[in-house]
Amino acid sequence: MKDKINGILSEAQERIGAAANENELQNLKSAYIGKQGSLSLFMKEIPKLDPQIRPEMGKLLNQAKNQITDLIDAKRMDLKLKASEVSPDFDCSVPGIMPSSGGLHPITQMCYDLNDTFRSMGFEIFAGDDITSELYAFDKLNFPPNHPARESMDTYWLEGHDSGKTSEKLCLRPHLTGESVRYMQTHKPPYRFVYPGRVYRNETTDAHHERAFFQYEALIVDKDITFTSGKVMIKSILSKVFGTDVPVRMRSGFFPFVEPGFEIDMQCQVCGGKGCSVCKHVGWIEVMPGGSPHPNVLRAAGLDPDEYTGFYVNIGLDRLVMMRYGVDDVRLFHSADLRFLRQFR
Amino acid sequence: MKLSLSWIKDYVAIPEDMDLKKLAYDLTMSTVEVEDVEELARRFDKMVVGILERLEPHPNADKLRVCKVDIGDGEPKNIVCGGINLEEGMRVAVSCPGAVVRWHGEGEPVVIKNSKLRGVESFGMICASDEIGLGDLFPASQEAEILDLSAFDVPAGTPLAKALDMEDVLLEIDNKSMTNRPDLWGHYGIAREIAALYDLPLKQFAPFETNAESDFKVEITAPERCSRYIGVEMSGVEVKPSPYRMQNRIWKAGMRPINALVDITNYVMLATGNPTHAFDADNIQDHIVVRQALEGEKLLLLNDKEIDLCADDLVITDAQGPVALAGVMGGAKDSILPDTKRVILEIANFESTGIRRTALRYDTRTEASSRYEKAVDPERCDQALSLSMQYFKELYPQMKVTGFCDRYVKKLKRAEIDVSLTWLAKRLGKDLSNDAISRKLTNLGFEVQIDGDTMHVTAPAWRSTGDISIKDDVMEEVARMYGYDNFEATSFTTAFEGAINQKDQDLIRNIKEYLAVRCGMQEVYTYPWMSDTFVHAVLPGTEGVLRLSTPPAPDQGYIRSSLLPNLCEAVAKNERYFDEFSIFEEAQVFFDRNYRSLYDETESLPEQRRHIGAAFASSEKSISGLFREAKGVLEFMPRYTHMEGFDFRKEEKPVWADNVVWLNLYLGDEKIGDMGLVAKKVSLECGIKNLSVILFELDASKLKPLKSRTNRFTHLAEYPETDYDISMLFDSDSKWVDIYDAIMGQKKAAALVKEASFVDEYRGRQIPEGKKSVTIRLTIGSDEKTLTSQEIEQTAEQVMKKLGKKLGAELRTQ
Repeated sequence: MKDKINGILSEAQERIGAAANENELQNLKSAYIGKQGSLSLFMKEIPKLDPQIRPEMGKLLNQAKNQITDLIDAKRMDLKLKASEVSPDFDCSVPGIMPSSGGLHPITQMCYDLNDTFRSMGFEIFAGDDITSELYAFDKLNFPPNHPARESMDTYWLEGHDSGKTSEKLCLRPHLTGESVRYMQTHKPPYRFVYPGRVYRNETTDAHHERAFFQYEALIVDKDITFTSGKVMIKSILSKVFGTDVPVRMRSGFFPFVEPGFEIDMQCQVCGGKGCSVCKHVGWIEVMPGGSPHPNVLRAAGLDPDEYTGFYVNIGLDRLVMMRYGVDDVRLFHSADLRFLRQFR
Repeated sequence: MKLSLSWIKDYVAIPEDMDLKKLAYDLTMSTVEVEDVEELARRFDKMVVGILERLEPHPNADKLRVCKVDIGDGEPKNIVCGGINLEEGMRVAVSCPGAVVRWHGEGEPVVIKNSKLRGVESFGMICASDEIGLGDLFPASQEAEILDLSAFDVPAGTPLAKALDMEDVLLEIDNKSMTNRPDLWGHYGIAREIAALYDLPLKQFAPFETNAESDFKVEITAPERCSRYIGVEMSGVEVKPSPYRMQNRIWKAGMRPINALVDITNYVMLATGNPTHAFDADNIQDHIVVRQALEGEKLLLLNDKEIDLCADDLVITDAQGPVALAGVMGGAKDSILPDTKRVILEIANFESTGIRRTALRYDTRTEASSRYEKAVDPERCDQALSLSMQYFKELYPQMKVTGFCDRYVKKLKRAEIDVSLTWLAKRLGKDLSNDAISRKLTNLGFEVQIDGDTMHVTAPAWRSTGDISIKDDVMEEVARMYGYDNFEATSFTTAFEGAINQKDQDLIRNIKEYLAVRCGMQEVYTYPWMSDTFVHAVLPGTEGVLRLSTPPAPDQGYIRSSLLPNLCEAVAKNERYFDEFSIFEEAQVFFDRNYRSLYDETESLPEQRRHIGAAFASSEKSISGLFREAKGVLEFMPRYTHMEGFDFRKEEKPVWADNVVWLNLYLGDEKIGDMGLVAKKVSLECGIKNLSVILFELDASKLKPLKSRTNRFTHLAEYPETDYDISMLFDSDSKWVDIYDAIMGQKKAAALVKEASFVDEYRGRQIPEGKKSVTIRLTIGSDEKTLTSQEIEQTAEQVMKKLGKKLGAELRTQ
């Protein structure tokens, strides 16, 4: 009998070890120590045994029973720790929950990207006011008195402030360049600053023309700057925006407030310069005007143009954002349409 | 501006093997933007001249005929055609299969194929002029008229492009890129620039000489507005078509041929950039006087528009009054008429800004005015005269000059500039030899004298009307002729004077990033102008609100004094697509007050402030939930964006707000903004249907950034703290601030209470009328020991007792 008990015990040990789940454990439990279990059957036979060995066998059986119970409990714990807390049909392909549904306007994002770049090059950020006078929008920028831009067909003048002296004639700023004069008047040279902001033009809108749009201007003024220094600035901006080194070229251009003036083109990022419909098959896209501030502009800011010179660029942020994301209608930027804006989180 | 390359080649000998792409590129890089280079012949690909050999009726259609057409490849072709002017022996334009035409000159281009027309095979198509884009050059006199090319004596099968002199290249130049270069507004000007770029010889015009003697005279009484006026009186002319070559060129340059007399004037303008005009001499009484108009004078223009002149207009007059609006448009009465036999040719120079004012005043910008307004130089009249007379002689061999007068009352002064060569080298960032510099300039017509470090430069007449005036202009000329792209990029030297530290700038960015990133709000942009509907719905009134003189739309005249009207509009727009969202905007607002300027004492700018506004909209959330969300955004803003904290008071209800749900924001004693629920009436006026909307707006110009982060470290609690919730009944109108103050105010309700926080409040079932239940979480702990549960409960009881005593609160029994 002793051998039989030991046999059952080692068999139980093996089977419990191999059990894969709770069900099997339950079955084993009843098979050995349940009412009809093999050890329980031995138990019933104890009264029939020789009283001499009864106590010993009883003890042995109880030990075996306890051992099996312990084995099953240990195995159960083991299974539990190894098992998953959820049922196996848990679906991991269900989408995640968005952490926060907000976002900055794509133009603000672009503006901050550029701010970071310029800050790292030691530029300050200057924010002027949206309403300016003809004095700063035109006179101080070397616009001749009859320049077309001064007329109401191009500029939003304010009612009741649309005639008289240029210092009292007010408008929503048609460009940012006047801000540079304000900055220079209130700071000491050399200068290195950017001045982003919204500008306004009285024109008919379509997918490529807006009445309110964002510009980003940067200006350096110092004693020994050649106009080619500007190339470094431009390259830095574009590589920040597009993430790679973008080939640029400068060609002749004319703006009243610069001399010389440039149009700055970048290689078309859609075709890599081979020519495509986006770049009208020239391989280059006009991205920004630039140039050295006109001596009259420096004078207006209180500087001696024989001593100081500089380099300036004007970046159309709307256009850059359109190129970055392939947006095809500039009017979407001021639409406040969340279906559009939420694409740029 | 469109330019014909073959026309340019009249003036400069461009080598035949010149790569046109390179020419366009070089012009673009150094001078003007060439937008397109078009090989014109391509438009006439697979089109040939055919001769109609025989015309036969179409068996199945009365209006169609079957033509046997010789197109020079042996067998005549069958072509079905409905033209009404077909005749045997006629030369016609045949579009063979593969050619591209437009049906009746309209719609999308169509590729010609072999086809059957009403059962009869037809090879290609016999074309009308507008079907192949030549409607302006060969205007049809009636419907279904076929282009008759019989005047072109070429064999059948000649490519149409060759027969019609279309084997040319058109350069399209961006007008904007040459607004500052009046000298380039003609074929000769561009030829001159090309000659300079490639060092090629440029054709000169022989001066016109005459010994005509008569009492013909011209008088200028406004020399400031008209510096030169040449009048040439001629007899022996008549109205007839100009030679095809002239028509062809005028058409290529984008204008319409009219008749020989008008065509000569247009041709000369397109060639030299100097507009000219011809009057019928028989209609000019006495002599020509150039003067300023008198108030009240009238003039009927060539376009049949009658205008009331003002004293600022310059007019050409005869004894009877104005005959032309100088430099803009001729008068209807005295210009070329069908029976004109004698003309007076006008070649003049008018002052640019006056021309521009007049053209704008009468909304009549013409080819002439758009050239004059760029400031044409008066010396150019000589070229225009020479070329005009060459053509008058050629087209009218019988022509006699019967009178001539050249009044040049205000001589052009050529610009003279001294440039230091050291300065030039410094600004260019490159040392160019004196020879190289002076060659580049002389190629452009400048005269250069170098004396030591000083270069004395005299600009050519055609660059002396304002374009070239300072030494920087001279530098630009050298640099662009050298090629901007040939200068290496040079970095600017870095001077470290300390890190950039701009707290004001950072604060705005921090707030925007806080709202977008932490608070899950979307930034929007709206226009500075507001629609009247939203102005009236949201603002207290329009006093002090600025307006635009010429608004984008009649109901969008006001510019914002608050961000809220446009935010309400944005909410209304988005309601169609979303039932819950929160948005914000940062922008400037404007007030008609406090005019001043920090920059110029004469300048007076209105008050402008930077505001941040927001809208929280939801059709699902309870108003209290939405309110707490919005308030939370404001409450935690100072902490997260590092600025001085502000607090909430209830002093003055914003006009747009609900009667109960609103607060004012205060920084110290200064009001910096409002928040509140949009009143139902306001939201209906804004067209917001189902959303509840909480708005806030604050004046960011008044916010004060901290010098650095000011969080202070507090030691971690040494002994455990316990949260203990109590629920009590309060009067329904009692306020959380009072409850909090009772617990945590100057005299704390219990020594061991560390904090009290709001959990929720409840009104309704099981709560007596006029009461509400408020659940408060007490944080209880000691710095000296671990508290027993008895001590914790005692503390809670002390708190409840105090609330009972001070605010009449009762323990909630159920």
